Amino acid sequence: MTRIACCVLLLAVSFADVASAQPAAKSSSKGGGTRAELDALINRLGKTPPDWFKGTPLNYPPTLDLTWPAQATGNWNNQKNVGQYLWDVVNPNPGRWKEGVKLMHHLLTLQKDDPEKRERIMLTLARMYHNLLEDYGRSAFWFRAAGVEKDPVEYAQSAVVLAECYWRLGFEDEARKLLQKIPSNLAHAKLLGDLGETDKAIQMAMEDPDSQGYSSLTAGDACRQAGRYDEALKYYQQVLAIPVPATNPPGRLVKNRSRADANVIAIQSFELSDPQKVPDGTYKSSSQGYEGPVEVAVTVKRGKIESVTISQHREKQFYSAMTDTPRKIVSKQSVKGIDTTRNATITSEAIVNATARALAAAQK
Amino acid sequence: MRLDLFLPFLRKPKKGTEPRRPGTLARAARSIFPATWFADLSTGKPGLIRRTLKRMGPTWLSAPVRRVIQSVCLIGFLILFFVVCWPYSARPVPETEAWPSHYADNLAQKEWLPAESFLVIDPLVSLSTAIAAHSWVWSLSCAAAILFACVFIPRGFCGYLCPLGTLIDLFDWSIGARFTRFRVKDEGWWVHIKYYTLLATMIAAFCGVLISGFVAAIPVITRGLLFTLSPLQTGFARGWHLVPPMNAGHFVSIGLFFAVLALGFLKPRFWCRYVCPSGAVFSLGNLFRVSERKVEDTCINCNKCVEICPFDAIKPDFTTRTTDCTLCQTCGGVCPTQAIKFVDRWDGVQLKVLNDPPTHETAIGRRGFLATGVGLASGVAAGLGITGVTRVWGANLDDPDAWRPVRPPGSVPEREFLQMCIRCGECFKACPNDVLHPIGFQQGLDGIWTPHVVADWAGCESSCNACGQVCPTGAIRGLPLAEKKVCRIGLAEVNLQTCLPHAGREACQLCVDECHHAGYHAIEFTRVGTEVDTDGQPIEDSGFLAPVVLADKCVGCGLCQTRCYGINVADKKLLSSSAIVIRAGEGKEDRLMSGSYQALRDEEARQRQAREPQLEMPNDDDGYLPDFLK
Repeated sequence: MTRIACCVLLLAVSFADVASAQPAAKSSSKGGGTRAELDALINRLGKTPPDWFKGTPLNYPPTLDLTWPAQATGNWNNQKNVGQYLWDVVNPNPGRWKEGVKLMHHLLTLQKDDPEKRERIMLTLARMYHNLLEDYGRSAFWFRAAGVEKDPVEYAQSAVVLAECYWRLGFEDEARKLLQKIPSNLAHAKLLGDLGETDKAIQMAMEDPDSQGYSSLTAGDACRQAGRYDEALKYYQQVLAIPVPATNPPGRLVKNRSRADANVIAIQSFELSDPQKVPDGTYKSSSQGYEGPVEVAVTVKRGKIESVTISQHREKQFYSAMTDTPRKIVSKQSVKGIDTTRNATITSEAIVNATARALAAAQK
Repeated sequence: MRLDLFLPFLRKPKKGTEPRRPGTLARAARSIFPATWFADLSTGKPGLIRRTLKRMGPTWLSAPVRRVIQSVCLIGFLILFFVVCWPYSARPVPETEAWPSHYADNLAQKEWLPAESFLVIDPLVSLSTAIAAHSWVWSLSCAAAILFACVFIPRGFCGYLCPLGTLIDLFDWSIGARFTRFRVKDEGWWVHIKYYTLLATMIAAFCGVLISGFVAAIPVITRGLLFTLSPLQTGFARGWHLVPPMNAGHFVSIGLFFAVLALGFLKPRFWCRYVCPSGAVFSLGNLFRVSERKVEDTCINCNKCVEICPFDAIKPDFTTRTTDCTLCQTCGGVCPTQAIKFVDRWDGVQLKVLNDPPTHETAIGRRGFLATGVGLASGVAAGLGITGVTRVWGANLDDPDAWRPVRPPGSVPEREFLQMCIRCGECFKACPNDVLHPIGFQQGLDGIWTPHVVADWAGCESSCNACGQVCPTGAIRGLPLAEKKVCRIGLAEVNLQTCLPHAGREACQLCVDECHHAGYHAIEFTRVGTEVDTDGQPIEDSGFLAPVVLADKCVGCGLCQTRCYGINVADKKLLSSSAIVIRAGEGKEDRLMSGSYQALRDEEARQRQAREPQLEMPNDDDGYLPDFLK
């Protein structure tokens, strides 16, 4: 059980971790297996229920309207409309993901004779398997059952996700083949970035820059993924340069800006926090801990972290974090890959973050 | 039967007589240790042991065993208080998936002797709580054991074990003896106060009001240390920002503690001799003694024993005031003729004649009768008076709007809690991060110094069950961790007006993260303020994820409130009070006298299942794959 990182900085770091995750199953050859192998794998996985399926209870509000009409009527009501229930209650709570998927299977059984609803339910299932459970085999199965692969232009967004499933399953060539049939879009660009085609990804993302920062953010992410931090910073700065209307700013722009901002801080702190580039001296910085800011003083001498001391804090329960974490940073001479003290994770992480910030700030 | 534990006065034998033969133990010691340690009985020259003890003082020389036992008890008490009850040596076990138990394990590991040992052998603690709550209190058996032991060593608790007595001895020796201007004469109206204090506390207890913890010996010293030295321990060892704030109740208790010590200015151990109601219980127990101090006819009326007696228990004719004697045997060691012996009550060998010199004691006269009457009357009046005040200015349990504190996990129902909590403060000391704070006067006189959860300060640790383990009276039940984990002390309530995401101010998930991390999973998200585009589709990332408390999973630990207060109120100053608050009250907490909390949860789950309509379960195979895909 790891404590979910609370501050934006850490969120950004964990996004980066997810983004850089490598395909789960690598097959022997670089591009993956044949088309027949892929089909067999997806069919085998897709036709058997996952192991948690039987043990998960069917659970949904009794007020839910299981007919799930295409257009919800009335006001927003997450206890009545299936889509709104998924959006508001299932998606945000990892504990409800499996029962949400089970509900979708239940709906599919109920609505199997209505082609329009059937397709909508299968697409939803595919996205849930992909986005929530990271079960790429079953996701691919349901995308295919809904007919995504047959018409990658009509289902452009879903097709990109399907291509990603192929890649995650270890069939990179098949993923690229599918991508070629899909028109340009930002999701497409992002997947190209994940596949290592950074230049192509940037080009596609910036083909038609939007006013809410999605394009630059996607391009920035692709650069960051490839370790091209200076370029990444440039694209993130572009997002931050988009003017925000004083009244009623569009929510998406605000979100994109805060993501870009967090990524800038994360890059500056973690990727650029090399003590060898820091002149001798003692640097202070702080980061949000459990009860408030934790301030550290980092002493660097001849390119080495000499000491990390906690100069100020208000933490109540810290076990050995106050001594352990600085010791680990000094012995590792880095802020990367420091394991945190159990049950004092937030304090540990605050010390790591504050140290990284102090080192990064010292280089300017 | 002889119970002599003193070191006899060393005398040069008269010419022509044989030196006295040492006892069996002394002979054994002489055969093991070097001869220089022991006195030469033929010349009367003291050995190393006697010389050392003499340097330490006359009471050490005459009753070294008693002084050693006293020291061991005081040190033991301090270790139990400052080391065993200090939770911060606990370390979480790395990478286990099981429910964490490091605080509980740490306490169990350190408790070679239960942390509450001294509290449970203070008989007033369990007697008064049992009477007040009209129920069996587990520590009554310990009280019975010590009272039985004190049939053989009358008032031995006061002379040997009581850490407050030893602390008072230290105070009298180091400070009290330097100021003689406040000394009072030997006799006075005050000599029987202890019986009247006992009477008052017992009458109050009988009326269901527990005040014995204000004056009982061990609670007084425990609370005294808790409010004076314990903050220093926290401050120096962990940081001054961790010292909990003080309220009026603290200062009353500190004042009481110092007043008890200051009584030493009137006379050494004034508190123990004349005031302490716990001592009074033993004094009454002395009526059933089987052993006592007796004086033989070799007494030469030298008065040394009267001068050294710390409890004023020797009459002018050198015989014993049996209700006051603690069998400390200091007198035995100073008696030059070794006329004092500690024997069974019915021993009548060679006793000195009574009333020589005259004691001027008479049968109770008119004055004595009046004095006793006034004493008894004021005892009764004090007991009834305090009961009355508490009734008028108390917890108002029948008023549904009265203030309700969040009690520690495993607390018995509130009425019984107030009757059983002796207010010793042991639970505060054992509580990691000081979740428990003593109540001031929020519940009037009823609740003073009782523990309540202050979740703004800290939340109840999932791995800890210490408060119930150290509670001497069972006001907080000693729960195993598995029971404590499901015992509800309150319910978290989200203030929809102030909670940052609910109010649409900004994203915040402190409470949800905290609850998941603690392992309760009792707060989940719901999306609020979702915006919809023209097609009726929700806009990604619009609105906020806001907390929702699942009432069937929340135990009221308060970790969520701690976090919200710590960050949103204290640090960022976004709110004036935590937006998620633990509340106690009917239906929000489990207050059981006995029985399992797990069973309660299971029963609730069964009822819920029976109440809710069964959801339609797919009947074809397992509902995973629809027919058209098979």
